[in-house]
Amino acid sequence: MSHFTNNNIPRQVRTLMTKQTADQGDVAVKAVGLSKLYGEFEAIKDLNFEVVAGQTLALLGHNGAGKSTLIKMILGLVSPSAGQLFVQGQEVQATRVNLSLSLGYLPENVSFYDNMTAHELLSYFAKLKGVALVRVKPLLEEFGLIAAKDKRLCTFSKGMRQRLGLAQVMLAEPKVLLLDEPTVGLDPLASAFLYQKMAQLKAQGCAIIISTHELGLVQDQMDRALILGQGRMLALGDLQRLREATSLPSLIEIHHFTPLQYQQLLNQAFFASFIALSTSERVCLMVPDALKVKMMQQLQSLKIYEFSIVPPSLQDIFHFYMASLQSQSTPSSNSFGHPTYVKSGLVA
Amino acid sequence: MSLIRQLNQQQSLSSFLPPRALTQIQAIAVKEFKDNLRNRWLWLMAGILLILSLCVSVMGSAVSGTLVISESAQIFSGLVTLAVFILPLGAILLSYDSFVGERQSGTLLLLLTYPIARWHLVCGKLIGHAYVMACACLLGFGFTALLLVFRAESAWQVLVIGFIHLISSGILLSLIFVLLGYCVSLCVREKAKALGVLLLFWFVLVLVYDLVLLTALVSMAEILNRHLFNLLILINPTDLFRALNLLATPADSLSAKSSLILIAQTGMGLPLMYFVFVSWIVALLMVCCTIFNRQEV
Repeated sequence: MSHFTNNNIPRQVRTLMTKQTADQGDVAVKAVGLSKLYGEFEAIKDLNFEVVAGQTLALLGHNGAGKSTLIKMILGLVSPSAGQLFVQGQEVQATRVNLSLSLGYLPENVSFYDNMTAHELLSYFAKLKGVALVRVKPLLEEFGLIAAKDKRLCTFSKGMRQRLGLAQVMLAEPKVLLLDEPTVGLDPLASAFLYQKMAQLKAQGCAIIISTHELGLVQDQMDRALILGQGRMLALGDLQRLREATSLPSLIEIHHFTPLQYQQLLNQAFFASFIALSTSERVCLMVPDALKVKMMQQLQSLKIYEFSIVPPSLQDIFHFYMASLQSQSTPSSNSFGHPTYVKSGLVA
Repeated sequence: MSLIRQLNQQQSLSSFLPPRALTQIQAIAVKEFKDNLRNRWLWLMAGILLILSLCVSVMGSAVSGTLVISESAQIFSGLVTLAVFILPLGAILLSYDSFVGERQSGTLLLLLTYPIARWHLVCGKLIGHAYVMACACLLGFGFTALLLVFRAESAWQVLVIGFIHLISSGILLSLIFVLLGYCVSLCVREKAKALGVLLLFWFVLVLVYDLVLLTALVSMAEILNRHLFNLLILINPTDLFRALNLLATPADSLSAKSSLILIAQTGMGLPLMYFVFVSWIVALLMVCCTIFNRQEV
């Protein structure tokens, strides 16, 4: 599915896009005109999207954008005010209890019963899910918790709790996995472990919806991103589509050049408007996608062959949409405000 | 390797058994019971009931300058008054954070993503808490009953029957307050608020209402309609508990001087009173389930 925003694409086109995605495989989650009102406050406004089996959808947005509400709606815990939501082809509200078998959920700041042990907790959840208890021990082994299986959960670290949380998700081999900011407060190793398990599930055909603020981590794991702002869908698509849609410039960094080449770079009119940073050791150019090929040709004409191209990251794209949401107008595509450029030292 | 293969085969056959409501309710009930066993709440409650019931039975006569076991009617009158104060309070403390506590910690959200209906959760918790209250009553009052029966020279049957009614109606009274605790716990967003509201309920139902009703019974017994009294007793489970236990006490014991005799003379039979107790429980259970089902997490 290509990128679109709710504002500028008519409903008919959106429907067509949705159909195109459905052809890609089994649709695990599908939202049609989904809205949620709390009194007069619109938590979710007219969402249309699909997640196909074996895909990871990153759910991005500012705090209060409606991410957790959307996850609760998929879980069947919050009923939509308008629109429909399907999981595995079945309407969520009508078949919540049955659907729960194929859903796995890991909440933010996972909290369990502190006076239980890891083994007792998984056995308890296994009974509630109707899963045989024989599955508990292998899961504890798989998640590195077998040594702590008889320890009270109040003694567990955050990382251990999160691993236990993921183990309870895996009890019934879910078809749809919902993760609500699962890496908050985790160390890099624990986060890596979580993403590794996510990749395993994805390979088994599980559709994953992950809500997160850690965009750098999720960028490599996701297939598509759904960016929410004030309950509305601002963008939906894979990274390439989002890059195209935002038209954010790429960064070309040149590290190796002679003094003569440096002078040529500074003096040629073509380069002048693209130079974002120039020192005797490094030159950075911000180049729109449309001019990228021409720029590379120009650099090669100066016999500069060693340069790196840094495309806009998910974080840049997210900042772009959040900025547009704040100003209610699309900012300039040559904006210096986004993180790749900050990281590169182009702006303070 | 073969072990893993065998395990996988077992998993493929049995790991996706259809969820059964009874298994789920049982799992929740066992978990609740174990929680209260671990945090020693059960032992605390049983200990309090035991000490106080022994005090009432054995040391009740100390105020008159002697230390003898009181007459059965006086013992039951004291025990009923004791139970009316302690059991609802214990039930409230047991149940006030059942839902609001789990909501605050996030476990309720997680539980509701499981394939369980909400009434399974309410029933599971209720059964677990019923076990706790039943064990506390049996241990607390049962030991006193055994002691009194062994010391009794005659009419031990009176004591046995009295204690059976005391314990069974005590459990039912506790369940009503446990369910009241669930209702409040479902409606509020903070544990402290739930406890506050429930203590207010306890104060009104156990202290204020009882005093007002007793005063009315004594002062206006000839003016007011008896059916109205009956209805007023039915409305408040604590008065129902008092009335039931006084009615269950054999007729000769009723000659003991007690203003509560008037309550016992309501004209309602024991089966009707037990039926009203059960009706209270069913009604509150339905209210709980309705509140819970209407809520969004």
